[in-house]
Amino acid sequence: MEISPEKSLWFMFIKGDLNAFSSLFKHFYPMLHNYGIKISGNSSLTEDSLQSFFVYLYENKGKIGEVTHVKSYLFVSYRRALLKELKKEKKFTSYDEIMESEKGFVFSIEELKSKQETTQLKSTALLQLLNSLPTREKEVIYLKYYSNLKSSEIAEVMNITYQSVSNTLQKAFAKLRNKSESAAISRVLNP
Amino acid sequence: MEQIDQELLDNLLQDTSFINWAKKSNRNDIQYWNSWIRNNESKIKTIDTAKSIILGISFQKTKVANEKVEAELNSVLNTINKTKTRTKRISSYIPYGIAATVAILFIFLTNNNSNKNSVTHKTAYGEIINLSLPDGTKVVLNGNSEINYTKENPRDIVLTGEAYFKVKPVPATKAKFWVTTKDLKVEVYGTQFHVNTREEKTDVVLDEGSIHLLLDNGLTKKMIPGEFVSFSKSSENITHKKVDLDVPYSLWRDGTYIFNNLTLKEVMKNMEYTYGIEVKFLNEKLKEKLITGGIPNENLMICLAAIEKSADITIIKKDNTIELTEN
Repeated sequence: MEISPEKSLWFMFIKGDLNAFSSLFKHFYPMLHNYGIKISGNSSLTEDSLQSFFVYLYENKGKIGEVTHVKSYLFVSYRRALLKELKKEKKFTSYDEIMESEKGFVFSIEELKSKQETTQLKSTALLQLLNSLPTREKEVIYLKYYSNLKSSEIAEVMNITYQSVSNTLQKAFAKLRNKSESAAISRVLNP
Repeated sequence: MEQIDQELLDNLLQDTSFINWAKKSNRNDIQYWNSWIRNNESKIKTIDTAKSIILGISFQKTKVANEKVEAELNSVLNTINKTKTRTKRISSYIPYGIAATVAILFIFLTNNNSNKNSVTHKTAYGEIINLSLPDGTKVVLNGNSEINYTKENPRDIVLTGEAYFKVKPVPATKAKFWVTTKDLKVEVYGTQFHVNTREEKTDVVLDEGSIHLLLDNGLTKKMIPGEFVSFSKSSENITHKKVDLDVPYSLWRDGTYIFNNLTLKEVMKNMEYTYGIEVKFLNEKLKEKLITGGIPNENLMICLAAIEKSADITIIKKDNTIELTEN
């Protein structure tokens, strides 16, 4: 049987191995950093909260239960920690309110590749449509295509059902398609 | 208006052949699905949605500079170390205790040797030590291993077991450095390499610089970084190949064994040499089970627990024998 390098590093880290902890840090820091900035729109808050998150993780390694997917575990725990921090700072009343605030998940033109398989739209037009989506839809899109999480992992991270991840994706793509790009068979078929 | 067929959508999203069609990556799948779609035109909206979800949005990910990650890691490690010394003051004395014992053992071994000019460093099972030789060369000696040299010539070493050498160059005199094993002699100026004499052969992996091997059968071999040479005097078997330095052969010196697709039999042989235990496979086919991953090696029990977990087996320890069974 093969175990993923991530999983074996995780196991060593739980046993207190600092080298394993450092490897995990180097591997996951960039993606959690990008994710944190997308949630908060604030890089110094993201960096501070990531620092305390990793220190907390190390100091509480004895209390962590069985972890199936290291990546989604880190995403879900960091998301929780960051939202808590945001709640403290901005005195929001609920997590929903934070997530629905305008600042969350704003994409920039540099982040979109100029060639998109899904649509014939120009990047600028796609960007506009993307940024006009509700925050939850943007977060699902972000986690799926930017962070490359599976739908089951996204459900875990966002604490929603698998079905609602799927519904959210359907809704988002229905809006992202240009009106002229109706589901005509000629377009759907591969040339 | 046509509704999305949820069941079909879920099935399409999990169908490898459909995914190939959407990504245009397999000619047969493209042909098959094109004709299927023509026959299921009423489901066009569901098919189109599935295609969009598979292709998704292509993002250009923002890079976080390596220097930034390193700096952040250092500051996290500093915080961790501070809390460690605050809460675990007593345990921090233990390593000094061990270091003292090791030092005393050396003096004892050195003085007890019949040849007053000979120096020996020897490790017990499961013990890893860092040594600095008189010429400034650094050696990491793995468990159950031994090096010998004479005071007159501390750059001529005899090795039994496994060690990693970081040789200090002497540019002024271009003095060479030798490591002799039962199978061969390694000749170097200044470099980093790894020598393993377990089993009936000697393995050498070169990290940096260049070295010459003088094989016991009289042949010589020149090695460049990233190469692996294995030679056995008894069978005259020689292997010379490039190795993946991303999966270093000598990671044990950082307290971790890295196994890359090794059979459990090979992994356990490593344990036998390092810890002096006897391994019994209760199921023959377990021997061929492949392991990939890192295993902490400073403590036998942690090591065995990690192997148990990664190979999904049960290990029972009885004195100096350990038994492996399938779960």
